[in-house]
Amino acid sequence: MASVIFLEKYNFQQIKYVNNRTWFDNLLVSIIFRDTMLENHSTLTYKHSLIEAVKNNDPKTLRKLYVENYPKIEVLVLKNSGDKDQAKDIYQDAFLAVWQNIKQNKFVPKSKSSINGYIYTVAKNKWMDVLRSKGFKKTIVTSKLSYFEPAAEENNAINDDILKEQRLQDVMHAFKTLGEACKNLLSKFYFEKKSMNLIAKELGLDSASTRNKKYRCMQKLREIALNSNK
Amino acid sequence: MNTNIHISQEEFERIEAYLNNQLSKEDLAEFEHRLSNESHFAAKVEDVKITLAGIETQALKEQLNVFHNEISKTKVRTLNWKPLAIAAAFIIAAGSFWFLNGNSNDRLYAKYFTPDPGLPTAMSNTDNYAFYEAMVDYKQGNYDIALNKWKTIQTKKPNNDTLNYFMGVAHLANKNQDSAIPFLEKSSKNPEFILSQDAYYYLGLAYLKEGQIENAKMSLRKSDNENSRALLSKLQD
Repeated sequence: MASVIFLEKYNFQQIKYVNNRTWFDNLLVSIIFRDTMLENHSTLTYKHSLIEAVKNNDPKTLRKLYVENYPKIEVLVLKNSGDKDQAKDIYQDAFLAVWQNIKQNKFVPKSKSSINGYIYTVAKNKWMDVLRSKGFKKTIVTSKLSYFEPAAEENNAINDDILKEQRLQDVMHAFKTLGEACKNLLSKFYFEKKSMNLIAKELGLDSASTRNKKYRCMQKLREIALNSNK
Repeated sequence: MNTNIHISQEEFERIEAYLNNQLSKEDLAEFEHRLSNESHFAAKVEDVKITLAGIETQALKEQLNVFHNEISKTKVRTLNWKPLAIAAAFIIAAGSFWFLNGNSNDRLYAKYFTPDPGLPTAMSNTDNYAFYEAMVDYKQGNYDIALNKWKTIQTKKPNNDTLNYFMGVAHLANKNQDSAIPFLEKSSKNPEFILSQDAYYYLGLAYLKEGQIENAKMSLRKSDNENSRALLSKLQD
């Protein structure tokens, strides 16, 4: 008797459950359907807009890319004899390199996940370089090292790249030490990529004096960069 | 690359317009003509290009630091660190309490226990050959082998203090303090035994390892050597 009652109860619950699930499934299906519709619509412009957003330094896009990709790099560096500060440095170097390559069309991402994968690969390679250079310094005899130097000096193309890179570093360093007002102004123009009219409006100046200000800031920056080279 | 070149505002704006693809067709043609014919001008353009790239890169770099601070903030927020920190503090407090109490005996033991260096083995005296042969094993750290050899002698001479003493120390070195205690008790009881001070010391250590602190103190009090007194004062703290 007891088992029969139990069975009936069980069946009843079973039916109730099935009913619930179909109702819930319908809801899910409609949500998923709506989302895929939205996604299909957005993928038409997605790839293009993502690259454009990166190229134009869209803060939302850059922030999302930066925040989402960091944890993986931190795990990678911490697991391979690095600390959090090193993880941050390597990650930022990699992020800047990826951003540069996207800007110069050296890397054309097909999707967001391909950017993520690219950032990870670049960071990993950079970290491997750091690890290798540590071992390199320990094991290679310096007298052997000098043997390779003249050959490198002969290569003008490499030298030119090194000079350009040095110059870039000088400018970056100079910008760090530039006065706050100039920094702000140049940042609006060249990082935020705001229009002349908008910036003039923000500063409460006419466009002629804004242009003049920008030029003077630029001169100051170049001066600091040149002096840091000496 | 000669970077020490003056650029007028007009020239600068022209170069900038070129880099931003904002020159008209005619201006562009003229600009490109100069670019390919005047190396001096080309250097200027290159310099402006690098300067603009430097500004943009450094501005982004500073922005990345802002993003990075947001990462550490959001981590803290999602982890809800306050109750976790309190829980961690409790765990650390409880853990260190347990550690200091439960393991302090073990730590003292580890600090003070080194096996007796053993007796010199000349092996000329044939009477004690078996004893000294085992002593070689003992010195090499093969305590099991030494104990087995000594055991056969011990059944014949159960009251030999030296034998009992070394068997006790060997058991202790072999981490069998409960087997060590009867041997050390026996050897320490004879006041004429030349190593009785050491026997009390090792007996004290054996009791310490067993967690019998009162017995350990009693044995150590009977020993006059330096280590015993040092260990005793640690135990009475």
